[in-house]
Amino acid sequence: MENAQNSKGRQLLTKLQNQWRNNPLFSTGIALAVMVIVQTIALSMNTSFDSFGAWAQNWIQNWISLLRGNAGIGIIALGMTFVIISGGIDLSVGSVYVTVGAFIMVMLNTGEGGLLAGIGITGVPAILIGLIAAMLLGSLLGESNGLLISNGRMPPFIATLGSMQILRSVTQYFMKAQRTELPEGYKSIARLSIGGQQLMPIIYWALLAAAMYVISKKTTFGRYVFAIGSNERTTRLSGVNVRAVKRKVYALTGFLVSIAAVIQTSRIGSMDYASAGSGFEMDAIASVIVGGTSMSGGRGSIVGTVFGTLIVAVMNNLLNLIGVDPYLSAAFKGAIIIGAVLLQRKDKA
Amino acid sequence: MTLQMRGIYKSFGANDVLRDIDFAVSPGEICALLGENGAGKSTLMNILGGVLPADRGTIALDGGEVRFKSPAESLSAGIAFIHQELNLVNDLCIYENMFIGRELKSKSGLLDAKTMCARCQEVFKRMDVDLDPRMMVRELDASYKQIVEIARALLMEASIIIMDEPTTSLTDPEIDRVFDMMRTLKGQGVAMVFISHKLREVMAVCDRYTVLRDGSMVAAGKVEDTGVDELARHMVGHEVRTESLRRERELGPEVLRAESLSQERHFEDVSFSVRAGEVLGFTGLLGDGRSELFQAVFGSGGRYQGQVYLEDRPITVRGTRQAVELGIGYVPRDRKENGIIKDMNILENGSIVTWPRQSKGGFISWERVRGDFRRLKEELKIKMAGEEELIGSLSGGNQQKVVLAKWLNSEPKVLIFDNPTQGVDVGAKEDIYDTILELADNNVAVIVLSSEAQEIIRLCDRALVMYHGRVQGELKAGEITEQEIMRLATGA
Repeated sequence: MENAQNSKGRQLLTKLQNQWRNNPLFSTGIALAVMVIVQTIALSMNTSFDSFGAWAQNWIQNWISLLRGNAGIGIIALGMTFVIISGGIDLSVGSVYVTVGAFIMVMLNTGEGGLLAGIGITGVPAILIGLIAAMLLGSLLGESNGLLISNGRMPPFIATLGSMQILRSVTQYFMKAQRTELPEGYKSIARLSIGGQQLMPIIYWALLAAAMYVISKKTTFGRYVFAIGSNERTTRLSGVNVRAVKRKVYALTGFLVSIAAVIQTSRIGSMDYASAGSGFEMDAIASVIVGGTSMSGGRGSIVGTVFGTLIVAVMNNLLNLIGVDPYLSAAFKGAIIIGAVLLQRKDKA
Repeated sequence: MTLQMRGIYKSFGANDVLRDIDFAVSPGEICALLGENGAGKSTLMNILGGVLPADRGTIALDGGEVRFKSPAESLSAGIAFIHQELNLVNDLCIYENMFIGRELKSKSGLLDAKTMCARCQEVFKRMDVDLDPRMMVRELDASYKQIVEIARALLMEASIIIMDEPTTSLTDPEIDRVFDMMRTLKGQGVAMVFISHKLREVMAVCDRYTVLRDGSMVAAGKVEDTGVDELARHMVGHEVRTESLRRERELGPEVLRAESLSQERHFEDVSFSVRAGEVLGFTGLLGDGRSELFQAVFGSGGRYQGQVYLEDRPITVRGTRQAVELGIGYVPRDRKENGIIKDMNILENGSIVTWPRQSKGGFISWERVRGDFRRLKEELKIKMAGEEELIGSLSGGNQQKVVLAKWLNSEPKVLIFDNPTQGVDVGAKEDIYDTILELADNNVAVIVLSSEAQEIIRLCDRALVMYHGRVQGELKAGEITEQEIMRLATGA
């Protein structure tokens, strides 16, 4: 009797071990769960509460601000996931972000020098035109990366390193000392409150993650991305237009970056052209890698990336809660990246 | 050194891969280890090479029992394993490759290239080959790479060398070169294990043989007492067909015609035409340009001069997508590099070509994909556990069938097979031949590229032999013989 139970227990244990070893979603999921528990404990110790209700409200509030603050990176990381699965890398996301942000400012500025207001377009039409133009610009900048990489046969690292420098520098040059004011209607894109909470950025992130999940699993484009990352030659020899798929991957990333830029500008109402978006490429790559996507392409998942973004976010929040010097937070982030990859490393036979 | 393996058992989970295997090889002897893919050859040699432990059984060297826990232990006992995919770094010199991991250093702690080169020269001399140790490995042809691997084994004082299908990527003259080398070493008392599918080669170079089938030893003996047919029968477990499979067919109209195709360094002034229901062969030695020719026709080989006509309309294929849409299919050579996508499952590997037809608005209908694939799985007799398993879980023959599946479903007008049975066991080979002939029966124009004369003889209605990028001659069904092919392929 005891024996039978024992072997059942052992079976479960080996099953869990296999999952831990072979399923990156399982291990990152567990890591995330552990971090959330620790964070919850830290949050509870931080302040004393009169009632469970007050505690819960505080917990929820903390999570809303955590998710809202990371929605931008979370959305960019979704695009980065596709880029990395396809075997590439995109270093230009931070620069595309600041370029699109600046473009929105110029288009929608209600003060002096506003482009649309200057030609007499205001109100909702102006906001719509601005939005569409911003997303087009983001996609086009991504597409141009894609063109360099696929048709120009440039290594993705180099092509996007170049566009990263060009875009930020040109943006800063044109945006010297611009004072801007955005229309109120535009600001409500991110600030619209639901039940007294500004949840819109979180909702956009969730919707885009769901869409990207479906694309990655159920569309020809999504599956081609995986195929290309695993074996580009075979994929081409299977009648797939590899170049077109790669261009789409970078254009899609540019599009997602432009949405992050829209959320940011509408939420904050301004953008610091010198520093906005700098380091985003590394944060996005970190989320993707922590989420179990293989740097060499072919393997990875959108769910993993969402987990990865949350792990990094929860850790930052935790450090904040227990009062670790902000200068040290990057060190913890680095440690998490290295730790995650060590965990996911498969023992090669 | 005499090797004796006795009563070796090995299982993975509930799956017995080796049952009571005896295997022996003595100094100055070349022993063939034969069997289809999945018969247990690799497992047996991995046990000998210290990669896997045996469940039961003993290994003895010169009578003393040994137990290898790692490849390094096996190597230091004098057993060298030369894998099918050669383990050489192309961007290093020959001597650097031979000493990799065990470099000689001078007193100053820097590399001592001089002594290393001299030691290489000694080995080359013993092997009776003329090679410059400072040459880059990249510049060597496949046979010399094989020879460098053997030299490395000798340098490490191996007295038993295991060679896993050493001739797979070699041309006939290169094979002869490697065989000469093996005979020289045999004369010097080196013991060799030769793993191969190619029975003619076994007959040519080996002294003894052991045949494994489904993890059991089914035959062993002296090569001089047996023949190709008998060995093949042991491997497959039943009679193998060597007769021509060609059947008379009513040929339809011309499907694909090429006029004077040329591409610098690859092929020159090649013209051909193939009709519906015809099996046209292209053969020649390795590097004769036939693969490049058909990759160009398929839209993945760069620009070329000349004109291709599909059903009498001139076409210029700029990409593989266009080729598929026009009805041209290409089953590539080198399955691992060009045929399979290792991170994807069997179902996806067997359907990627037809996804555009199996999807609506960009969304793949996995039900349709699954339905189509199940039908093909039956037709091709693909043996597998589940469609969601990774492609790598299949044997070579079954992997190749999955690669065929993705093309069969695309309903091509012309299907080009480039070395369709490379690294495929005898049983799967026959299944693939059946599939090719069935396509022709169904009025598909079939083109088979192969360097195996037997394959061309058995399948083709007509064969073109290439030599240095040009068509050297055409052979009609009755005229295709191994001698004729050889004569044209060598430019004679």
